[in-house]
Amino acid sequence: MGLTPSRLEISRRSWLAAALSAAACGCSSRPALRIWAHQGQEAEHAALAGIVEAFNRHHAAGSLRAELTFFPDFQYPEKLAIAAAAGDLPAAFELDGPLVARFASAGLLAPLAGLFSAAERRDFLPTIIEQGTFEGQLYSVGAFESATVLYGDREMLAGAGVAVPAAGQAFTWAELMLACERLKRSGVRPMSLHMNENADEWFTYAFSPLLWSGGGALIGNDGSSVRGELASARNVASLRAWQALFELGYASADPVDPDPFGGGKTALDWSGHWMMRSHVAKKGARLLVMPLPGVGPAPVAGCGTYCWGIARPGHQQAAAGAWLRWVTDPEHGVTPLARASGAIPGRRSAFSRFPEYDVMPYAWLKEQLETIARPRPRTVFYSTLTQRFAAALRDIARGDDVAERLRRAEDEIARVIERRSGRRG
Amino acid sequence: MKRALQWVASAVVAAVFLAPLLWLLAASLVPTDQVFRGGWARLFFDGGWTLTNYASAWRRAALARSLAVSIFQATVIGGLGLVVNSLAAYAFARLRFRGREALFAVVVALLILPIEVLVVPLLLTVRGLGLTGGATALAGLTLPFVAKAFNVYFLRQHFLSVPRELEEAGALDGASSWRQFWDIALPSVRPALVTVLVLDLLMHWGDFLWPLVISTRAETRTVQLGLASLFTEPPIDWGAIMACAVVTTLPVIGLFRVLERFVVATDPRAGLR
Amino acid sequence: MTSWERSYARSAPWFLLPAAVLLGVFVVVPTLHALYLSFHQIDLLSLDRQRWSGVSQYAAVLSDPRFRRAFANTALFALLVVPTQTVVSFALALWVNRPEAPWRALRTVFFAPTVVAMPVLAILWTLLYQPASGSDAGPINRVLLGLGLPAHAWLRDPRTSLLAVAAMSVWQGVGLQMMIFLAGLKAVPPAQLEAAKLDGASAWQRTWHITIPALRNTFVFVLSVTSIFAFRLFVQPYLMTRGGPGNSSVSLVEAIYEMTFVAQDLGMACAASMLLLVTLCVLTALQRLALAEVRE
Repeated sequence: MGLTPSRLEISRRSWLAAALSAAACGCSSRPALRIWAHQGQEAEHAALAGIVEAFNRHHAAGSLRAELTFFPDFQYPEKLAIAAAAGDLPAAFELDGPLVARFASAGLLAPLAGLFSAAERRDFLPTIIEQGTFEGQLYSVGAFESATVLYGDREMLAGAGVAVPAAGQAFTWAELMLACERLKRSGVRPMSLHMNENADEWFTYAFSPLLWSGGGALIGNDGSSVRGELASARNVASLRAWQALFELGYASADPVDPDPFGGGKTALDWSGHWMMRSHVAKKGARLLVMPLPGVGPAPVAGCGTYCWGIARPGHQQAAAGAWLRWVTDPEHGVTPLARASGAIPGRRSAFSRFPEYDVMPYAWLKEQLETIARPRPRTVFYSTLTQRFAAALRDIARGDDVAERLRRAEDEIARVIERRSGRRG
Repeated sequence: MKRALQWVASAVVAAVFLAPLLWLLAASLVPTDQVFRGGWARLFFDGGWTLTNYASAWRRAALARSLAVSIFQATVIGGLGLVVNSLAAYAFARLRFRGREALFAVVVALLILPIEVLVVPLLLTVRGLGLTGGATALAGLTLPFVAKAFNVYFLRQHFLSVPRELEEAGALDGASSWRQFWDIALPSVRPALVTVLVLDLLMHWGDFLWPLVISTRAETRTVQLGLASLFTEPPIDWGAIMACAVVTTLPVIGLFRVLERFVVATDPRAGLR
Repeated sequence: MTSWERSYARSAPWFLLPAAVLLGVFVVVPTLHALYLSFHQIDLLSLDRQRWSGVSQYAAVLSDPRFRRAFANTALFALLVVPTQTVVSFALALWVNRPEAPWRALRTVFFAPTVVAMPVLAILWTLLYQPASGSDAGPINRVLLGLGLPAHAWLRDPRTSLLAVAAMSVWQGVGLQMMIFLAGLKAVPPAQLEAAKLDGASAWQRTWHITIPALRNTFVFVLSVTSIFAFRLFVQPYLMTRGGPGNSSVSLVEAIYEMTFVAQDLGMACAASMLLLVTLCVLTALQRLALAEVRE
């Protein structure tokens, strides 16, 4: 810490001062600071409610009162969109990371410049900052992060004669196919890909790392050119390799069980951090945690999850800023949330409170986010991109021709882009 | 013999028809990670039934509150609707005014667009009237659906079947149009009125998009929103979802059982003895 | 018109007023608003930025392959479901139209699916339709295989996905029409039926010559309302197949919903809604012309 506070520090303090004074000279009955969040799991839900209570207790003197409302997960994006249409967005709200670009570009999010000091920004996991940044400005921050992993059952793998990769290493695709073949021959169902997932977002989230590992992309870096990108030769090759998993019977395109790996039915599970606790409890030392296998030389991991933003235009931006700082605070926000949901803490300084992240398997999650994780594309057309891509993946899993199906998805997305932006997609 | 055959046929049809719902019931009674684990048979015969899903659903979906909101919604829409729609239906059926057929055609056209299509313009209208957010959200939840083209159409159907003789007798007695409506026509269509009540309840019990869209706080959390809140990101608590579905189904079935005996009703010619 | 009819007619505006106000404010106004919006280019998240675009939205809708397929799918769905549901629900209504307890129970049984939450029904039927892959075979396929018939991936084959959704819809909706028919059956003059029975007419003859003509208005009502509701298909395909595989089961309302909430192109969604409105107005008008109602 220097002797003279930096400009950013002053500006951060002035946020707080503004918040307190704005709250103090507000109406005598404390005007509520409306906050929206997605419903989430029960524990997460309770943790967030607790954080709001703590926030209110902390600011009781300054007459700042937060009021939290939850909305169902699956329709949360629709709720946000229609509230935006009606001008009813609350002062602070959670939104799924990939949607930040859309909301920021529509002028619905206030830039967070000055809300956090440079040191604090560095304290956030890099992927959180990356996810929340659009056109050079930071619009959202998250309290926690997510991570994709491939789980394995050491016993089942050993029983089939499969050599597992070293710690922190992924299967190469060839190794994966070989492992699956051996597992199948030994009578075990090789892999669970959760193709029965209700949410479209699962497919984009879980399988874009595969495309990225093959050197492909979902959409151009400018966020609006999808032609030639989505149905590129590289992506076609990557997805053909993926399709083989279904064709050869290594994974089911129509599973029923939501958790076959936990139930001992499959040996490998293409999943993420949210199953870690349950799998650790069920498998113990047998659990193997690896990066997702890729088709290229280096594996890529998926990341990104809900983050918080401040609405614009809004009269309560200062107060909302105070909330954002609170909910992403290592002690008051990150720790209770990560503890409740099992998500990865979003602030590096919070890891000291989570000793499990010092050892495997949890240590791998943290390492992954610092090294090979990549957020989903930040584009204003994300909703269309993800919906059509997920539809294409489902059809490809069931046997559609990969090149043709990808081209059709590319076409559908480009059509929407062209209509909305007037430019060629 | 014929009777026994009818019984057997009925039982078989009922069992086949109900099979998915029996699965639902069974699934609500097993621990959540067993719901999709085994085959169908296992659910029914493995035993190990538990009520934890019901406790879980009750708590997590705030079912006490959701049921209250849904019942309130159904009561207001059904009750007010009965008055508003039967008045209009009677006018279309029995009062000869100019432009009646054209106006009725417009009414039928209003039946066409579902809420999913009109949700944005309707929200803007309702918001313009100040009926979103806070206690007035309950008005915003119910008012748009009180007058329903479907009910007007349906009730008009039945008013058309009220015998002319009853009406003429009333006119001879010097009845006003209101008395014709209230004392003569309305009692004759009682089964239709009850049907409309049940249909209204049915149509709105499953409402999801509008209650979601209209609330800025949790005021209009109906049973469907309660159920939807159980569909979280994975891992999903399927047992609680099944239990919630059962709990939110039973009230309507119960009401149907109570009310449907009134559908089996009086002969409209009874007043002609 | 007799004099008392004339005096009654004068009170018509009072009878119509409450419904007219409510329908006017909550249905007519939003519909007109949607019509207005359909001539503009609007982003759902920036409603204040509207750009006049004439009929280009309509052109865009009509040239959109997913919309066109949705239209065809929905029309086909209506063609399948309306007659099936009408006939089945009428038959069921006839069957359970007896006051004894077992028939009451059956009425409740047939009514039950209309009440269960759609998301849950969608899950149930997705399970029922599970393809016969390995040990995860769904019950329908198991039964078929047990009977020696070929199993099929009903929801996953573009040729059968719409059929599968239609079958589920018939199962789900039949109770509602049954209720409407039951209400209508009360108006069938029992004296006529008794007389016919004494004359030796069979059940079928009684039904065909007495019951069905007596229910003419109900049939007209059920047919036209079921057609309209069939075109409003949304939740089933949205939850069971998301309109897939490809575009094989996408419905009109689903396409409009996607335009609103996924592409967030409100002008286009409104244009599509207007097309839906016009189509159904024409269809309903044709139906009413073809099946003139009977008035007392």
